[in-house]
Amino acid sequence: MKHPTKIKRLTTNIFKIALIATIGFFLSSCGDEKKELEGAAKDIFSGECVNGTDASIVIYSGRSENLILPVIEAFECETGIKVDTRWGSSTEMALLIDEEGNKTQADIFLSRSPGPVGYLDGKGYLAPISSNILGGVDERMRSQNATWVGFSGRQRVLVYNSDEFSEGTLPSSIFDLTGADFKGKVAIPGSNGSFIDWFTILIDQYGDETAELWINQMVENGARYYPNNRSIVEAVGRGEIAMGLVNHYYNYKISAATGAEHKASNYVFKDNDIGGTLIISAAAITESSQKVSEAEEFFMYLLSTQVQTYFTESTYEYPIAAGVQPNSALPELEAFEIGSINFDSLGEGFENANRIIESSGILNQ
Amino acid sequence: MIGTRLSMQSPVPLKIGVLGIAFLFSFPAGYLLWRNFTGDTSSLKLLNKSQVLSPLQRSLILSVAVSLTTALIGIVLAWLTTRCDLPGKRIWKIILPIPLVFPSFIGAAAFIRTMNPGGFLNGLLNKIGIDNVVEIRGFFGAWFVLSLFCYPYVYLPVAAKLRHLPSSLEETSRVLGYSPRKTFNHVVFPQVAPVLGAGTLLVFLYTISDFGAVQLLRYDTLTRSIATSQLANKSLSLALGLFLLIIAGIVVFAERMISRTSISSDQKSIGPPLKYSLGAWKLPSFLVVSLLTLLSLGAPLFTLSKWAIDGLRRGSGNGHPLTLNVQQVWESTWNTLSISVIAGFVTILAVLPIAIVISRYKSKVGNLAHSLVIATFAVPGILIALSMRFWSLQTDWAYNLFNNTKALLVFSYVVRFGSLAMGVVLLSVAAVPNNLQDAGQTLGVKRIPRFFRIYLPLMSPGLGAAAGLVILSTMKELPITLLISPLGFSTLATRMFSSFEEAFIAEAGILAVILVALSSILTWMLVIRKSEHL
Repeated sequence: MKHPTKIKRLTTNIFKIALIATIGFFLSSCGDEKKELEGAAKDIFSGECVNGTDASIVIYSGRSENLILPVIEAFECETGIKVDTRWGSSTEMALLIDEEGNKTQADIFLSRSPGPVGYLDGKGYLAPISSNILGGVDERMRSQNATWVGFSGRQRVLVYNSDEFSEGTLPSSIFDLTGADFKGKVAIPGSNGSFIDWFTILIDQYGDETAELWINQMVENGARYYPNNRSIVEAVGRGEIAMGLVNHYYNYKISAATGAEHKASNYVFKDNDIGGTLIISAAAITESSQKVSEAEEFFMYLLSTQVQTYFTESTYEYPIAAGVQPNSALPELEAFEIGSINFDSLGEGFENANRIIESSGILNQ
Repeated sequence: MIGTRLSMQSPVPLKIGVLGIAFLFSFPAGYLLWRNFTGDTSSLKLLNKSQVLSPLQRSLILSVAVSLTTALIGIVLAWLTTRCDLPGKRIWKIILPIPLVFPSFIGAAAFIRTMNPGGFLNGLLNKIGIDNVVEIRGFFGAWFVLSLFCYPYVYLPVAAKLRHLPSSLEETSRVLGYSPRKTFNHVVFPQVAPVLGAGTLLVFLYTISDFGAVQLLRYDTLTRSIATSQLANKSLSLALGLFLLIIAGIVVFAERMISRTSISSDQKSIGPPLKYSLGAWKLPSFLVVSLLTLLSLGAPLFTLSKWAIDGLRRGSGNGHPLTLNVQQVWESTWNTLSISVIAGFVTILAVLPIAIVISRYKSKVGNLAHSLVIATFAVPGILIALSMRFWSLQTDWAYNLFNNTKALLVFSYVVRFGSLAMGVVLLSVAAVPNNLQDAGQTLGVKRIPRFFRIYLPLMSPGLGAAAGLVILSTMKELPITLLISPLGFSTLATRMFSSFEEAFIAEAGILAVILVALSSILTWMLVIRKSEHL
């Protein structure tokens, strides 16, 4: 009103921005073909890329782009199969596949743990994987229904602040954390997927009553709730809380990122205690996929020596394929004997685990 | 002055348009109803449990507390920056809306990392002898962090309104011998109240739907229940989603009842709005605004920059290399910029007809559409995303047309954030004096040219501000972007989230700093530059 020219200019500006945005929007979709790999992908495959083929697959990945993208790039380069990926949390991806049903675009689902794949398996959305792939891993690291295969592992550990505790003062079993020495000291990621999966295994091995008793006693003993592994490792490193139940590899990554000011160490429970269970990242093929052979080629790639080595050297995970040595920085794996666990029951036990966790009140501590 | 206009019936094409828009906005609500009432179990029965009631209670307490706080912060900031001689006014105009751009999880994480035991600021305070700093967690933490990041929802529209208020009434009040305070209470406040109410309502609904901050700060609300029950007990999570929507609907309806008489205004803007001198309050006011900015923008930005710088140093040394390359950063920046600007623009187009209908005509359809648009803001993003997937899969043609397109993504953003634009757009529409329309009519200008020649130029500053609100929110959006975007489409926020969750802190820091820089530039271009109105 007072400055008609200014207003006009503003309007023009808005249009200009919108126009530029629209043009770039379409331009941005065209990427250029690369002939050789860079960065972490080069560590996996350093040769020259083969020419692209018509073949392509779609992955819904619940594992982070930072971890998996180099593998996908190397796969594309080495095989010429194009990969399109949707990134998100494993829960979100499982919910999406559930919603999309047989119309899902996904050929492959990569999950942080067996829980979300178990959920989809229970609904019949997963196809069986051929036995030559399943044969590449120990039978404890794959589904008994042949619907998923493990490709990397993270061990459950107790991360502790090294100013407050030393290894000798820590308990040998997770069941001892309910003792007076640890009152108000332990962080539990009660709503976190890996923890819920682990708790489901606990129920599976020890029964409802023992599991329920343990978590209720933990709450009575002043255990504190944190939403995820990362926030616990970070808080322990700062000294906000003395210790917590987490997956092992966050501590390596946060130490690498923040250096000496991060005062946390990992502790593995003794004598094959259930507190040291290995949580497996799982790969599955959707029932509706028309690209089973390409998908299986990707699975072979995931389990190949170079990719398994990448996982352990770069992301500090435990390799799953037979014959690949873990990163020398990692303690030797004496994980809880998981052979007797039927991981496929996790999908069904999930709801029960969640109910027990929730009614313990830990989520509000 | 309102009565005669509002009794008019809206033109039929406009009415049909609004109905169509309302239909599009009803997708999330429709999905929740469908899923809740066609499943094998009647899921609403699940709600009769204590595990639902106490999170609900906490959600409501937190939302009310954050709403009240942001209402206070918003109105004080708006008053100081629009009507008082606060030093550095132009700078504040650019800076004050920015905290809106922090995704709540990263903002919360930055505070936890800085203020809590072992954090930088905590250490600093310990050194000067203060060692019982309040820990940022639980109710206090969630209230503190959300208030700091949500106040722009109130500040922006209230500031807009204050700049539009005619000086005549205030002058009269001053001439009659009322003090500035009395003038504010009796003249200014009643005129600002509806806008204040609408902005506060947005904060209320946002807080109810927030998951990122409350989960990191460990305050157990209803969104946490929804998140953890999604796989374990899907019908419960859907029932909770519907429940949130119903609560939102009730609150929105109540707000409409209270403010319905005062939305449309027919005042002519005579001269620039009255300015007040702060006098002795100048320095204290300046300090308060500075402190607030330091907390809501400075503190998180400091922490995020530190993460970024540490990471860059490490990357150039022999440490662990960054898992992020320049091309990825550029791609995400460009995606973020383009998709959010388009979403902002389309959102304005979608809510404008609704705003015109309810401020110019008496329209039940308009009111319904308005309530639907606003209430949908309380639905967590993940449920909106799933609903969009659900509906686009119902027919083959919709699937073929929209699957894997940015169009569906933009549409989802519009539905998620339409509520943000609604209030400011309504304000701009109401600010067009009716006598101008009358003049246009008398001169024989037809309705559509009248719109482009008379309305649009007058409304454009307000529309720019509304688009700005939507853009800032779209830039940080997560679940919809993850689930609805075309394959391989990443934004700064999605990359930041996945980096952060896997403890690639440096990468998250770099992306966050870029996001803040980008949003500052956009705020400056769209909302501030050359516009005295907002």
